[in-house]
Amino acid sequence: MISVDKEKCTGCGLCEKACPFGAILIVDKIAVIGDECTLCGACVDKCNVEAITIQRKKRKDVDLTLYQGVWIVAEIKDGKVRNVSFELLGKAIELADELKQKTCVLLLGDNVKKFSQYFSSRGANKIYLAEHEALKDYYTETYSSVITGIISKYKPNIVLYPATINGRDLAPRVAATLELGLTADCTGLSIRDGLLLQTRPAFGGNIMADIICPVTRPQMATVRPNVMEMAAIQGNNNAEIIDVPVKVDLQGLKVKTKEVIRGAAFECGIPVCEADTIVSGGRGVGSKENFKLIEGLANVLNAAVGASRAAVDLGWIPKSQQVGQSGNTVSPKIYIACGISGTIQHLVGMKSSDIIIAINKDPDAPIFNVANYGIVGDLCEVIPLLTEALKKKLSEN
Amino acid sequence: MSIKFSEEDEMIRESVREFAQSKIAPIALKMEETKEIPRDIVKGMAELGLMTCTADEKYGGPGLSAVSAGVIAEELAKADCTGSTCVYYLVPASWGFLLNKYGTEEAKQEIFPKTVSGEWFLGIATTESDAGSDVGATKTTIKPDGDGFVVNGEKMYISGVREAVTHGGGHITIAHQTPERGTRGMTTFYLPLTAEGITPTYINDLGREGISCGGFSINNVRIPKHYILGEENKGFYILHEGYEYARALISVICASAGLKSLENGMNYIKERKSFGKPLAEYQEINFRLAEHYTKLNMLRDLGYKALKTIDLEQEGKVSRFETSNIVAQAKMFCSDWACKAINDVMQWQGAFGYSRECLDQAAWRAVRSFSLAEGTKEVMKMIVARELLGKKQY
Amino acid sequence: MRLNLESHLNFDETMKFIVCVKQVPDTTEVKIDPETNTLIREGVPSILNPFDQFALEEAIKIRQEGDEIIVISMGPPQAKKALLKCLALGADKAILLSDRAFAGADTWATSYTLTQCIKKIGDFNIIFCGLQAIDGDTAQVGPEIAAQLGIPQVTHCESVEKLEDKKLTAKVQTDDGYKIVETRLPVLITGITPSFFEPTNPPMMSIMKANKKPFSTWGAEELGGSKDNYGLNGSLTEVIKVYSPPAREQGVVIKEETAETAVQKLIDLLSKDKVI
Repeated sequence: MISVDKEKCTGCGLCEKACPFGAILIVDKIAVIGDECTLCGACVDKCNVEAITIQRKKRKDVDLTLYQGVWIVAEIKDGKVRNVSFELLGKAIELADELKQKTCVLLLGDNVKKFSQYFSSRGANKIYLAEHEALKDYYTETYSSVITGIISKYKPNIVLYPATINGRDLAPRVAATLELGLTADCTGLSIRDGLLLQTRPAFGGNIMADIICPVTRPQMATVRPNVMEMAAIQGNNNAEIIDVPVKVDLQGLKVKTKEVIRGAAFECGIPVCEADTIVSGGRGVGSKENFKLIEGLANVLNAAVGASRAAVDLGWIPKSQQVGQSGNTVSPKIYIACGISGTIQHLVGMKSSDIIIAINKDPDAPIFNVANYGIVGDLCEVIPLLTEALKKKLSEN
Repeated sequence: MSIKFSEEDEMIRESVREFAQSKIAPIALKMEETKEIPRDIVKGMAELGLMTCTADEKYGGPGLSAVSAGVIAEELAKADCTGSTCVYYLVPASWGFLLNKYGTEEAKQEIFPKTVSGEWFLGIATTESDAGSDVGATKTTIKPDGDGFVVNGEKMYISGVREAVTHGGGHITIAHQTPERGTRGMTTFYLPLTAEGITPTYINDLGREGISCGGFSINNVRIPKHYILGEENKGFYILHEGYEYARALISVICASAGLKSLENGMNYIKERKSFGKPLAEYQEINFRLAEHYTKLNMLRDLGYKALKTIDLEQEGKVSRFETSNIVAQAKMFCSDWACKAINDVMQWQGAFGYSRECLDQAAWRAVRSFSLAEGTKEVMKMIVARELLGKKQY
Repeated sequence: MRLNLESHLNFDETMKFIVCVKQVPDTTEVKIDPETNTLIREGVPSILNPFDQFALEEAIKIRQEGDEIIVISMGPPQAKKALLKCLALGADKAILLSDRAFAGADTWATSYTLTQCIKKIGDFNIIFCGLQAIDGDTAQVGPEIAAQLGIPQVTHCESVEKLEDKKLTAKVQTDDGYKIVETRLPVLITGITPSFFEPTNPPMMSIMKANKKPFSTWGAEELGGSKDNYGLNGSLTEVIKVYSPPAREQGVVIKEETAETAVQKLIDLLSKDKVI
């Protein structure tokens, strides 16, 4: 509920200018708030005479104090715990400490008990272990029912999921089943006034939004990989392991996997959305042959190989490596863009990288507007030299 | 209140804009050199539904309204500084409108599928060496002969002759059937340019070089009865509806081409500095920008008003005379105003404006033709004067 | 809350597909006002969400004679334009869910509203959604609809391969390649756009036909359902602040005579700044 005190309002128009959604008009020297209002509060902050107030709704009859604990949903892939799980753990511990609650890990799969020690040694207090042969592969139906059940029973305060392909498939399913608020692809999480404050990009990364789930529990969010710090190994190993017996039947599965095809990325080993460092090639690379230059540089840096849409369209590299609006959104520490002009659709996928390095023949290429460092030059000359120089430099260190 | 477009027209605009900007704009100046519109562009225009877009659905056309036809013209003019595709589009649209309204069922079934698909060109050929504005002075004759007619004469300064001769199609034209009755004895008909007895000639005109300009002699060309539009001897009256459709489209095209040039000019004068300040800060320049912008927007509104009037006339809500009047007003200054604007844009660009690489010089040469094509500006003044002074034009 | 699945099994020969679409601002055209640090919304064209257009084209691809494609959208009255485009592209019928009560909805309230509409239409076989909208970027609405309807979901679908014997085969993106899945009907699919997809605009004939196809606007009254779940009122998440991301500082662009000197300079800078 948002209201304008007509006595106080001076019609100065500061709120109208501040509103990101164009919902305010000054009519006859009074601010009038229209249907586009999302209660974001930008106008309240701007008003000098405190003429605008927002009252947030309270949902009745839910005792929120029953919900305790900051949980993460672990993701296992190819017999290893994915890095993003440790990133989630790191953030969860921080949040739990502030709330003075426990940090717990939801570990599902077949024969995954052995992974508990990795979470335990990094500071998890509890591990909810749901093991079953049928949970070996991820299926929406099986994972969502198990997780929904465990959440309902054990009532966590917060649940964090990785914003991986599986995570983004799973989290909304659980959320809607339990009628919970869910925030997608968070790049920032903190506690404010006892609530989880979720920060995420929208509008293709052109704006940031701070979001809360005031009335539903657990508060849930999917978290973008490669943004949070991984939980550090602390050495203790005393997490409580709670075995949750689960019944899973694959016979009744409505969606069955018939075939799995792994592309070149599998050989590289690092999925592009998880990589710390990415070397990406675009149209300027010139040919499939030349992509070997990109791979060469990536190898030296232990990086994943990425690509712009143009390179994928031209058949030089599989789509799974694509970075951009219709590909992967990545947040690596270092992103090296080679022969990529920097269209908006590509920038949407990588502009939140910490360091961007661009190599392009065209000095006016838009990529140079977001790059921290850029070389104007022919990548066929520059990349081999750069690869050599980095190899030398890194072996010195 | 400027014209408000329907959702349909907005979708039409987006579709044409996407095609025109991605396929036509990049090769526009090239057409001045090759002197033709690439066939795959013609195909693309046809697949989009632009060719004889006024043909009814039952003949395969989208049956667009005049306002929608104007939206298409506007977008083509923005993308094609040479005007070639604009003319290639507007002529079949306008004369397709006439054929759709007054042609025989047999003719429409025969001609429209070919023109809609982009294979044939449908043009207009009334001008002769000695008869332009004075259509009644035409020397071409048409005589009943057996179950058809025989046509003799010549036409000159006609667009699309090469295209029709090469790929098929023909032109709407007018001739004397009963010479002693003057304009009351003229017949309008479709003349296929691939017929025996047609001998084409070609001339080099100043602009719109992607579409040909030429003429042809007509030597005992036989045409079947079903090629007559409207009634025999009553062709003079219906002909003007075709001209007016074209004139209304031309007004919108001139406004669009002029505004596009102004946009080019604006970008230039903001960047280019002379004596330490951007050209845009000089009053001689920015005042002219403001004047041209205002006039071209007035022209645009008047052009759409003319198109809307044509649509209303088809619904019976407006009289023939009112339409002629409003259309003549719209076309009266369209070429002058757009040419003046584009001329100034060329001047702002100095020596570059005088080079063939400049887009605006091509636009000027194209727009210059519209002070005479489909009716001279002098004739427009005649029409309005007659309407005001009470003497009926026809 | 959960739907009785039997009421949604369609034993007729012909299929009914529902496609959920959204009209969004063209985020590739969005600019930030440097003075106020807010989004400049005027002049930003509204478009049919490209992911949704792809979803519609997949539905059209597998449609056979007699199958019906219904497009639905929750939005303001202007969203009619996006639906008309869908009709021009080949959908058979359009329904716009427009009501003040729906405004300000988060993904829960949006999916609830769309679910009510789908239940009212009934008898569907496949629901197609785009993976995500280019303004919200959440990718949540599709799976939330599937959960509320109690039907299986297939997300990150690159293409629908075939539809046979009430089973659908689809190619789905994975982290390092793709997989082929087979699902029973009814099912909800969210589609990612393959790189070769260019959202195209329809030709004249199709645009003219679009206006003649059935188009309805439904409000909260027609939908029924619990009013507490619509719009801002029914949202379970709340946006408390919106702001511009910190601007990236202007970087260093190295333009040297030779590649060797350029690379050397870069290495030096990276070392100095402790990047490597």
